[in-house]
Amino acid sequence: MSTTYVIETHQLSKAYKNVQALKALNLKVHQNSIFGFLGPNGAGKTTTIKLMLGLIRPSAGSASVFGMDTVKQSVDIRARVGYLPQEPHFYEYMTARQTLRFVASCFFKGPKKAIEKRIDEMLDLVDLTGKADRPIKTFSGGERQRLGIAQAQVNYPDLLILDEPAASLDPLGRRDVLEVMGRLRKYTTVFYSTHILDDVQKVSDTVVILDKGTLVAQGPIEELLAGSEGVVYIVHLRGQVEAARKRMLAQPWVSGILDGQHNGDCAWQVSVSDPQTAETQLLKLLVNDSVVVTEFRRKQYDLEDVFMQVIEGGSNGRK
Amino acid sequence: MAGNNAFQLVSERGWRRGLGSMLGSEFSRWWKTRMWWVQCLIWVGIIDLLLSAVLFSTPNAPPSEEVAVLFLVFAGLFPSVGVVIIMQGVVVGEKKSGTAAWALSKPITRPAFLLSKVVANSLGVLATMVIVPSIVAYILTVIATDTPWNLPGFLAALGVVFLSHFFFLSLTLMLGTFFSSRGPVVGIVLGLLFMQQYLIGWFPVLRYVLPMKLVLPLGEQLDAVAPCLLVGSHNYSPILIVVVALESLLFLGIGLWRFSREEF
Repeated sequence: MSTTYVIETHQLSKAYKNVQALKALNLKVHQNSIFGFLGPNGAGKTTTIKLMLGLIRPSAGSASVFGMDTVKQSVDIRARVGYLPQEPHFYEYMTARQTLRFVASCFFKGPKKAIEKRIDEMLDLVDLTGKADRPIKTFSGGERQRLGIAQAQVNYPDLLILDEPAASLDPLGRRDVLEVMGRLRKYTTVFYSTHILDDVQKVSDTVVILDKGTLVAQGPIEELLAGSEGVVYIVHLRGQVEAARKRMLAQPWVSGILDGQHNGDCAWQVSVSDPQTAETQLLKLLVNDSVVVTEFRRKQYDLEDVFMQVIEGGSNGRK
Repeated sequence: MAGNNAFQLVSERGWRRGLGSMLGSEFSRWWKTRMWWVQCLIWVGIIDLLLSAVLFSTPNAPPSEEVAVLFLVFAGLFPSVGVVIIMQGVVVGEKKSGTAAWALSKPITRPAFLLSKVVANSLGVLATMVIVPSIVAYILTVIATDTPWNLPGFLAALGVVFLSHFFFLSLTLMLGTFFSSRGPVVGIVLGLLFMQQYLIGWFPVLRYVLPMKLVLPLGEQLDAVAPCLLVGSHNYSPILIVVVALESLLFLGIGLWRFSREEF
């Protein structure tokens, strides 16, 4: 991955009267990454996005996008960005096509044919071709969202900022958005906030979790999903389990066994310090005539586990 | 930008960045929707029906000077209410609905955003609230009196009427940048519009500050600017034109300053 950062924030903070919406955020977003920005409501995600676009000013700290200051050079930054707001609102008197024309006119002055072609491509991309010439006031929430996705991309942005892009979309619409994001990775950097953890897990390569304006976890998604407890194996077994336990604990690379029950079987969570040895030796140690192994697998975290752990139980050292 | 080699990038720079796009959008709102003809109908309906009532209700039309004063009262006062109603949503409405934040997420400067509203709405007001009803009024007076108004005086009077509307347009726009709901904006401007006569009565110096005497005579004497221009009298103070124009520009300046500090 390139070491060029598209977005950098340094101690970025924002306070509204008595509310500290964002506290000393330090963020680095690599070029051509798909950067998932997670957090519960009120975590400061939209505030961060608005700071990047120069729609609000920081109370302290600074931010740069493409190396440009978000306060002094916000118009130049916006010339290279596509943005989908959390609740997209467009001029109601325009049609979808007119809206895309308006957005395109902010970036391009010609040639007209190429602009119209690009608009048609975008309408097709979000499946609004049939409704292109209807006034937006007749659009449903999902259609507005799709138009929002189209207008954010019409200018071939170097950075696409999407605030809850999958909100108001049905599962098919969500799938399409994720596909588009995956395709765009080659050309652009995608920075998006969402509550839908499954989507983040599918497409993101880097994730940040915010809570109450504070960054509580940041890293490549594989690192976050690996968890902070080290490698753990799930073992379900029945029979002479005590003998098996002694054999296991005698191994220097087994750091502990957490007991449990599952459908009448013993359910162990075996923590290991040497994942490679464990992978080849652990099952061999268990298998003999007096023990039946009914389940054996390496524990996988999903983002929801990580998210809940981080939000409810602190950062677990992932900061 | 990735993949845009086929396109010519916009060349506007500095504060004008995005002005063309915003002007296009604002002109569309006026001229590509039913707004322009609805406004024309309303103001022709109000101004010219009232004028027709004056001109045709008696066998002999009233004196030309009286018709001129009445026409300018109708044309100078009532559309100002329309200006306030149209303009109160221009900034506040866009702030509340989120369209301002959306538009300003594009490469559009805040001065370009606000000035596009001023230019497009001023021209919309000029065309639908001043020019069209006035042309109809001119024709009506010719039919009723056989004596057309002096054309240069008529055009100059219309310019002064427009200046009066522009005062309320810029004031409403400025207040829209300070408030986040429409109530205070409408309340303050309409309050001022209808209280001018009393305010001038309490503080006579305000006759040189408020736009009332641009179009409405205060007493029996014909001393308002527009009626004087229309009937060829010199019994008016041209300083008021300068003062009101400067006040309007001041409102726009304050509005631009405040809008540049707005957070979306």
